[in-house]
Amino acid sequence: MDVCPVDCIHPAKGRTYDDGRPTFDEVPQLYIDPTECIDCGACVPVCPVTAIFVMEDLPEKWHAYIEINKNYVDGGKFQPDKYQKASS
Amino acid sequence: MARMSTLYEIIYENVRVGELYEKLDRNWVRCFACGHCCKIPDGQPGVCKVRHNRGGTLYVPWGYVGGIQCDPIEKKPFFHAHPGALAYSFGMLGCDLHCGYCQNWVTSQTLRDPAAAAGPMRVTPAELVLDALRQRGRVIVSTYNEPLITSEWAMTVFKEARATGLVTGFVSNGNGTPQVLEYVRPWVDLYKVDLKSFDDRHYRQLGGRLQPILDSIRQLHEMGFWLEIVTLVIPGFNDSDDELTRLAEFLAGVSLDIPWHVTAFHKDYKMTDPENTSAETLIRAGEIGNKAGLRYVYAGNLPGLVGDLENTRCPNCKALLIERFGYLILGYHLTSNGCCPSCGSSIPGKWASAFQGQITANPFAPRTRPHSDLLVLNS
Repeated sequence: MDVCPVDCIHPAKGRTYDDGRPTFDEVPQLYIDPTECIDCGACVPVCPVTAIFVMEDLPEKWHAYIEINKNYVDGGKFQPDKYQKASS
Repeated sequence: MARMSTLYEIIYENVRVGELYEKLDRNWVRCFACGHCCKIPDGQPGVCKVRHNRGGTLYVPWGYVGGIQCDPIEKKPFFHAHPGALAYSFGMLGCDLHCGYCQNWVTSQTLRDPAAAAGPMRVTPAELVLDALRQRGRVIVSTYNEPLITSEWAMTVFKEARATGLVTGFVSNGNGTPQVLEYVRPWVDLYKVDLKSFDDRHYRQLGGRLQPILDSIRQLHEMGFWLEIVTLVIPGFNDSDDELTRLAEFLAGVSLDIPWHVTAFHKDYKMTDPENTSAETLIRAGEIGNKAGLRYVYAGNLPGLVGDLENTRCPNCKALLIERFGYLILGYHLTSNGCCPSCGSSIPGKWASAFQGQITANPFAPRTRPHSDLLVLNS
């Protein structure tokens, strides 16, 4: 996740979260926070398991993951307001 | 896709070793050219797609321009720098953001979007400066794509340009770093920042963050660049009273003397839903700027429809100092040392000792200029 310029892929390795959400070792997959992501695409070519796609390029067979990623955010583990970066 | 590979070849062949980066372990590098500060693994480009890591060395664009145009300086827009001057404008390719309403998307997004195909031209800094002088440029400006990500090239061009007496400028999104601003400070006179929103969520939709841009604006002012700010007012995106007020108050907190241009959006590239900005909206934005205490607020892109918001008035005695219609200078009344002729107040800016007339006789279409004979790279 070093390549992400806004550090929006969670949970990050070796990081604990104040909101008590599961850590890296406790989750079945990683999630991209859509409120933090700037849609730059830097993660796409370097993902070691080719698991990241620009929305339009996502193969049909993996469309279920759209909902899974969304639920992770909606389920209260990510709370968009709480995770809003300061808009000073 | 054949066109794309040609463009990638151009990007990867017309390079030299960059100066704005540090080496990390495992052949990674960290680039400082823009606020993303990309950590780039070997074999990959940064977010801008033009600065790329090959074997632990960062290569950056060199030796070409994506486009050249002779514009009135008012189009950049700079209103407090050499009014009427011809700004010789060049760009390279690529951008660190991807705004859906980009008006230069043919050059800025050509590496992301096959629909945006530009024809780059091979050129040396000396040839570029010679061309600028031949076309009667007074100012040379790096614009169209984001100049910060091609700073190494622009500084080499600007060093040549300075030697001939040209004034230099950046037309930028302001997504800078302390390192890149220090790097360009000796060679850049004028700096325009496009402050697109005052909401971090909006900035993320455009591919960036708000904070690095605010930090850069403060730093640009402190470092003594001649700074003007533009906000393209987009209905439904950034035109709320609340957002415009917070934005104007931020600028006023940096300096009341920073000119703020609020300009009208027109449908372009991928952002075609919002309505075009009305004159009423621009006038409302202008009033918000004035209320925040900003002394020089201008409304752009709707010539003749925004009343006094095209003109420069003395903030002290309200005397009319520069009268404009769009990019056209209709009247110029500053003294030779840049003061109000009525009350003597000094007006901030980079003024020539006298108005030299509008260099572009027809500022909207300078067709009479000699044609550039620079080589198109992929012809």
